[in-house]
Amino acid sequence: MERQIRPIYESLDTGSNKSAIVACNKLLKKHPKNELIKTLKALALVRSQKVEESLSLCDEVLAAKPTNDAVLTAMMHVLRGLGRHKDIVTMFEEAYKQQPANEDLAAQTFFANVRILNWKAAQQIATRMHKQFQEDRYIYWSVISAILQANDPMTTPSMRTLLYKLAHRLVTSSPTPSYVNADRFHLHLSILRELELFDEARTLLESDVGKSICSASLSCNELRRDIWRLQSLLKEEGVKAQVRITEQKDRNWLEFLSVLDATFSSLTSIKADEQPDDSTKTECASDVAKTQELFTKLAEQDGHKDRSALLALLELEKRARFHGISNDTNRMVDLMKRYFEEIGDKACCFEDLKPYLTLDADDSEKWKSFLQSLSPSFTSTDDLRRLINSHKLLRQNLTLDDLNLSAESDRATLYTQQYLEGLKLGANLPSTELQPADDLAILAGNVFVSLWRISNDQKYLYNVVGLLEFALTKSKQSFQTRLMLIRIYRLLGAPSMALEHYRIMQIKQVQHDTLSHFILSRASTFSLASSGDLTFSTECLEASQIYNSNTQDTGDYIARAFTGEKYSQIPEFIIFEDRLENSLQRDIIKIEHLRMRLTHEAISSDIIDMELIELKFIFDRLHHDNRDFEILADYQPRLSQKLNEQTLLFGKSEGSGWLITFLKVYIRAFQQGSDLDDTVEEKLLIGDRPKPASLQNKLPLKDRLRQRTEEDLAELTPDELAFVNYANALADWLEPYHDHARPPPAVVLAEAAKLAELKTGHPLKGVEIPPKNGNASTNGSAKKDEEAPPATEAPELVVRYFDEMKTRFEEAKRASSQSLALHVVTLMQEAFLLFVVETLRFKAPSVVKVNKLGALVQQFKLLRANAIAVLREVSSNLIKHSEEDGTAEQRKCFVDACSMVTVLNIDHDFVLGVAKKFTDSRKKVVEGVGKGVGRICTSYN
Amino acid sequence: MSVLRPFRASDMFKFNNINLDVWTETYGLEFYLNYLANWPDLCYVQAAPSGRMMGYIIGNAEGSNTEWHGHVTALTVAPEYRRLSLARKMTALLEFTSDEIYRAFFVDLFVRCTNEVAIEMYEGMGYSVWRRIREYYGSLGVGNRGRDEEDAFDMRKPLGRDPGRRSVRANGREMIVDQNSV
Repeated sequence: MERQIRPIYESLDTGSNKSAIVACNKLLKKHPKNELIKTLKALALVRSQKVEESLSLCDEVLAAKPTNDAVLTAMMHVLRGLGRHKDIVTMFEEAYKQQPANEDLAAQTFFANVRILNWKAAQQIATRMHKQFQEDRYIYWSVISAILQANDPMTTPSMRTLLYKLAHRLVTSSPTPSYVNADRFHLHLSILRELELFDEARTLLESDVGKSICSASLSCNELRRDIWRLQSLLKEEGVKAQVRITEQKDRNWLEFLSVLDATFSSLTSIKADEQPDDSTKTECASDVAKTQELFTKLAEQDGHKDRSALLALLELEKRARFHGISNDTNRMVDLMKRYFEEIGDKACCFEDLKPYLTLDADDSEKWKSFLQSLSPSFTSTDDLRRLINSHKLLRQNLTLDDLNLSAESDRATLYTQQYLEGLKLGANLPSTELQPADDLAILAGNVFVSLWRISNDQKYLYNVVGLLEFALTKSKQSFQTRLMLIRIYRLLGAPSMALEHYRIMQIKQVQHDTLSHFILSRASTFSLASSGDLTFSTECLEASQIYNSNTQDTGDYIARAFTGEKYSQIPEFIIFEDRLENSLQRDIIKIEHLRMRLTHEAISSDIIDMELIELKFIFDRLHHDNRDFEILADYQPRLSQKLNEQTLLFGKSEGSGWLITFLKVYIRAFQQGSDLDDTVEEKLLIGDRPKPASLQNKLPLKDRLRQRTEEDLAELTPDELAFVNYANALADWLEPYHDHARPPPAVVLAEAAKLAELKTGHPLKGVEIPPKNGNASTNGSAKKDEEAPPATEAPELVVRYFDEMKTRFEEAKRASSQSLALHVVTLMQEAFLLFVVETLRFKAPSVVKVNKLGALVQQFKLLRANAIAVLREVSSNLIKHSEEDGTAEQRKCFVDACSMVTVLNIDHDFVLGVAKKFTDSRKKVVEGVGKGVGRICTSYN
Repeated sequence: MSVLRPFRASDMFKFNNINLDVWTETYGLEFYLNYLANWPDLCYVQAAPSGRMMGYIIGNAEGSNTEWHGHVTALTVAPEYRRLSLARKMTALLEFTSDEIYRAFFVDLFVRCTNEVAIEMYEGMGYSVWRRIREYYGSLGVGNRGRDEEDAFDMRKPLGRDPGRRSVRANGREMIVDQNSV
């Protein structure tokens, strides 16, 4: 038997599901009852998307309550593939019940519960396992399960305390003490911290073994530090930290912070509403003097080697000033100068000093004149870094008055000039290295963006493009340069150039979650899916792969951490899994992909049903925003907007408000267009349902879809808001007609059952087919007893929408903002497609006739005709416009506009080459969107 | 000057400034989760006071008998935080843990044969070449310095359990092995 089954496993492993199915069928003829073969066939079927066929096999196997290890393992994969995690739990529970002495089955049952975060059951199983198998680690499994249940957002505060107390009782009941390993110890400490059992914690931590664990384990020491802090033992912690710093030469910044906290503890321990008396102040001042002496000595010892002590001196002075006990008005700036003199040749100097740059007028002036007095030198990379740091520091403190057109222009020129000068220092570096002068180009880029914001003149953005494209020829690996260019290209409506740079960075794995916003944010604006080019749509799918890996893999490592007893990691892994699973970017990508999909695929009831189910799953997620915006190198002055905000497409970042608004629009439209009401969906949908994310939202979905808040809407651009208003008006108008014409659930189910039986040869489980007599027929056009709602006039918002958007389009064109024009056009196109979704049901003449909706459908015709007329006009306008875009004249315009950098000797021909690629990219997208609109008009005419 | 702390799973959301650098590879989730699920005490981060990540080290413990050792799998520092001895400090902690907790005989790491700066740094820290592994790095292809670009040195540093320094040898650079024998 084994010999016959092996090839099936091999086929499955290599992804040849078809041959696996064939082999299974052959063997099933001889052994029709064999569970393992059935299971393997079910697995091959799931993997070839044949869900219905797999389901019936799967249910057969489950009904037999398997205990065989190979069957259980294969079934686990089948059920995972079907999203039936709860059934995995039941399956293992049944098996464990039959073989209560089987430790492996017990563990599998435990892990199955862990997978669905069912901590209560997990805790009980672990307790049982401990009783039965007498292994200490099962106590700890039970302990951490209790803690994780306590930490679940659905657990009430009082229950939380109870669970922690339970965990505490369990830990202390263990026959071996927790300090036998660091992870058990960590777990124990975290319970004591939560329950504020500080005396017990102290006893553990002060013991020799406790001290030794903390000296070698960063995570235990972290907890220890925390517990000390919570007990307000700042002074004591300060003394310990000082010993570590002076005797063990520890330069962990956390130790310096402990010394600083201790220094000011006499003042910080006073309650907020009380004033410190003079003696406390004097005491603190003397502590400050001592700490200053310590840090000064250390700074001398460490010199250039380590910057901790120098920075600690700055922090000390900052805090002393905050508490009003600084006695030297010059010290702050003196320390800053000293820091710059010692560390100015390191790239991190600017970032280190940033928190100390908020100075009063006098200090500010002194600091500024110090930095201005430095003369630029290009003799070594150290000198160059000093120069760059001084520019960044000066720029950070510029006032709004300093940010005028002429001063900023001078800065842009200066930085560009110095960049070109600085390049000589890196002339011989291999192409894989970064140029030491890169930051000067990026600084200049920041200034050009600022100039664009002041003047609203796009020529400054062209200069960024010219300069940074040049910089990339010198420093191919400078991702900072690329990220900035990506932003600029999108602002200028040249998405293929943005994508080219994005791809060169080789974003992969988890970076898709944090960085894909650079290219996929509002990407439907630039999508050419309507004319068959699926580039962006594919990019969405690729970026979303990481979420599948998370679902598949992370759970396994949670189980691994249990087996290896790495308890400190388990809560972290769970948080990580949740942050990816419920990532905001994940669902923003989903919406963008949907918007593109609708422009590409023919809108049908299948698409509507499938998308509806998926969107409803998303709707209740509590989203986490993992997007990395900090990565963009920002050298804008403190008082100005950050570069990130300045370069966002349409000046707005989509957050959860944007997402929820679009989800509502689409769920509502799809619900209206779909025959799947909740009862039907409940019967037809396989797999687990999403866990409710919070206790609060008890309102029915239908009402929640209509809720709108100002905060959510504030995340939309004005044109998106117009689209949403249109969508709502359309849905409000058509709702009664949909509700009237939608076939009753019994009819829909019968239809589904019929299809399923045709496909698999088995009847659909749990669905009773109603008798075919009476007035129910299965063609979806059942005659209604009640009267059809009377036809009402289309709302003004719907009637006027396309004409008003045409005006917006013309405005955008006049402002020569290509990305805005595309934004308006793609939204108009989207509005039209939404209209198609909303009216699809009424395309069938029988539906119209049976429901007496003739008058309503007449209005659709008029609306459709007008929308198409407007869209066609806009389309031909875009196509015409694109013909002008790729011309030599346009290229010349670009090159002329780049005069600020070409005058400084960035090669004219090079910029001309950039101009060619840039104008081609713009032409391509305008032409593609224009043609796509035309295509959609034709398909739905 | 920086915060030395454990590497946490959610650091994967924050390591872009380090991982976008061409020399640092971004692996699948399972890579990081595997190390964290098995050797969390050999994975650390250096962070700036602002919380920004500066660099990290990921390591494990493996081998049997006298080959039982700590291994540096990944060690990286973001470009703007180089020349601050961060790598040195993270490696020192990994050595300390390998010695104290794992009772390992030595710590080893692989480095590109052409990466003279790194080799010199490791030598300064007490590492020496044990053997040369042919074509260990295939990713960048053969560069202008020929095969050297792809070969790796396996460098080792003996720990307290190896007072006789049996885990190092003087002529390691001449001991050439195949990639699949590692």
